[in-house]
Amino acid sequence: MIQTVVYGLTIGAILYFFSVGLALTFGTMHIINFAHGMVYTLGVYLFITFLQALGESFLLALVASLLAMLPVAWVIERFVIRRLYGESLDYAIIATYGVLLIGTDAIKMIWGTTPHPVNDPIGIALPLAGMDLPLYRVGIVLSAFALYGALRAFFKRSLVGKVVVAALEDAEGVRCLGIDVNRHFSIIFVLGSALAVLGGVLYAPISTADPYMGFHILLLAFAVVIVGGMGNLNGTFLAALALGMVMAVTGRFWSQAANAMVFVVMALVILLRPREAH
Amino acid sequence: MSSPAPSSAFPVSPAPRGGLVRELALIAAGLVLLSFVIRIHWMADFAVFFILVLSFDLLYGYMGHLSFGHMLYFGAGAYGAALWLVYGNASALIALGVGMAVAAAMAALWGGIVLRTHGASFALINMAFNEIGHFLVQSPLAAYTLGEDGLSCSADPLFGVISLHEDRWAFVFTGSMLLAVYALLRVLTRSPFGILVRSIRENESRVQFLGYDTFRFKWVTFVIASTIAALAGALFTLVQGFVSPRVISPFGNVDVIFAVLIGGAGHLGGALIGAAVFLAIKNFLPVMIPELSRWLDVKLPQWELWLGIVLLVIVFSLRGGIVGTLRARWRKSRAVEAGA
Repeated sequence: MIQTVVYGLTIGAILYFFSVGLALTFGTMHIINFAHGMVYTLGVYLFITFLQALGESFLLALVASLLAMLPVAWVIERFVIRRLYGESLDYAIIATYGVLLIGTDAIKMIWGTTPHPVNDPIGIALPLAGMDLPLYRVGIVLSAFALYGALRAFFKRSLVGKVVVAALEDAEGVRCLGIDVNRHFSIIFVLGSALAVLGGVLYAPISTADPYMGFHILLLAFAVVIVGGMGNLNGTFLAALALGMVMAVTGRFWSQAANAMVFVVMALVILLRPREAH
Repeated sequence: MSSPAPSSAFPVSPAPRGGLVRELALIAAGLVLLSFVIRIHWMADFAVFFILVLSFDLLYGYMGHLSFGHMLYFGAGAYGAALWLVYGNASALIALGVGMAVAAAMAALWGGIVLRTHGASFALINMAFNEIGHFLVQSPLAAYTLGEDGLSCSADPLFGVISLHEDRWAFVFTGSMLLAVYALLRVLTRSPFGILVRSIRENESRVQFLGYDTFRFKWVTFVIASTIAALAGALFTLVQGFVSPRVISPFGNVDVIFAVLIGGAGHLGGALIGAAVFLAIKNFLPVMIPELSRWLDVKLPQWELWLGIVLLVIVFSLRGGIVGTLRARWRKSRAVEAGA
């Protein structure tokens, strides 16, 4: 039972790391950003490469892959996302999907298609009620809560955060105040991408890296963003954990149904919610 | 809101009479020409894909509703036909009807639900249903569909002579179905009904202000588009004699969306051209690239990367796809002549 809860919270935590960027891009720019999946996957592959190059130091490789992904995220924002601002939904989807395809193919070309396993960096299991609970999973869950607190503080206290919260409500209004909204969106995009990479790296030891991992988490993250209310940051956190639990509980009784159940919940939420503006 | 292409590209005035016959002849000639270029074995698959893309163009290009779940109805048609052939009897035409009826019933039911949403929600709730459908044939219904292993089936020859497992007959049968679907959609999209559907794409509130119940029109269009997709799926089953969960996988949606966009959404001929270009990218690049890379002695990326680049080019410099761009250019040159 406790194991199921921890597993659910772990998946939820990873979904949260990934979905924050997706929710912010959707909330501020009304773009469904498929390229997020590519940033996530590429980050994990870079992490694996750095891990081998830097002598199996998990933290060092994590920092190196984060730093390496910042310019990649900036390039995507500058040359694709920014040009899509104010465009119709479908063109944004297609362009970012194009980026996802290019990235996935490049990854397949450089690293091949065989899955790469990553070792658990802590490797300690807590004995709990007759079962072993990996300490690493507990760490992931705690870091998601820490991230939630940090993001709350960031959006409440820092100027960049405040501008973005205002822009989530009304980007045009903020622009009219003479604030360069694009620059703030750019910062937020890079931040969201870094969080996706962080989530991917944290998830790598309990899964395996394969070129299509970004596609799979994207589908689940869409459900998170929809259930959480499209750009609602508290909602994203709650939805990620709740859907993680849905997956874990379903998976416990019927493992093949875990993914499908997430979409059942998503469909129900869309139906029961009052009609949204867009 | 999603509006795929500038509205000025689509004149509401009806085309001159006889246009339909000319267009059908053109498509038939194009198909026959294509069958000389590529192996005839592939032609039936191509025709099936053309039908699927046409059905999606009705939903997305004409009505402006981007769906990530259109493969649900293709898959429902394919599985409906296959299950009838295995557990019912071996009649190809009944199987075709069963596949379409199953999908139409599903679309009628789900359409009432999904059409309450717009934009991103519509795209993603369809994806959710598609994912659920994919899961259903893979696991809970595996006793009938045999899950991942797939289901083999075969139909008796049509009218006792036309065997769809023969490449030539399969091509003739699917090709004539394609012509029928094209004719139907062309008449439909130019009818008052079609004009209303296009008006919904441009501005749904205004259509409502005019006193129309837009939901009913959207629902009917959704069911028609889904049923035609199911026709493509059922034809796929009849020709292939085999279905697996791949036919209902949500990843297939992307192919259809891109085919429509490459050609130019909201234009039936554009959809066909886009589908042909997409199939060329998808089928010939994976064959050509290894040879090219052996010849150049460098490692070249696979086809997905090239498709990604094509998509970026379309979005950033070829809005309206091939047909939309050509039309705009033609109109511009005519305007220049008129001015001079």
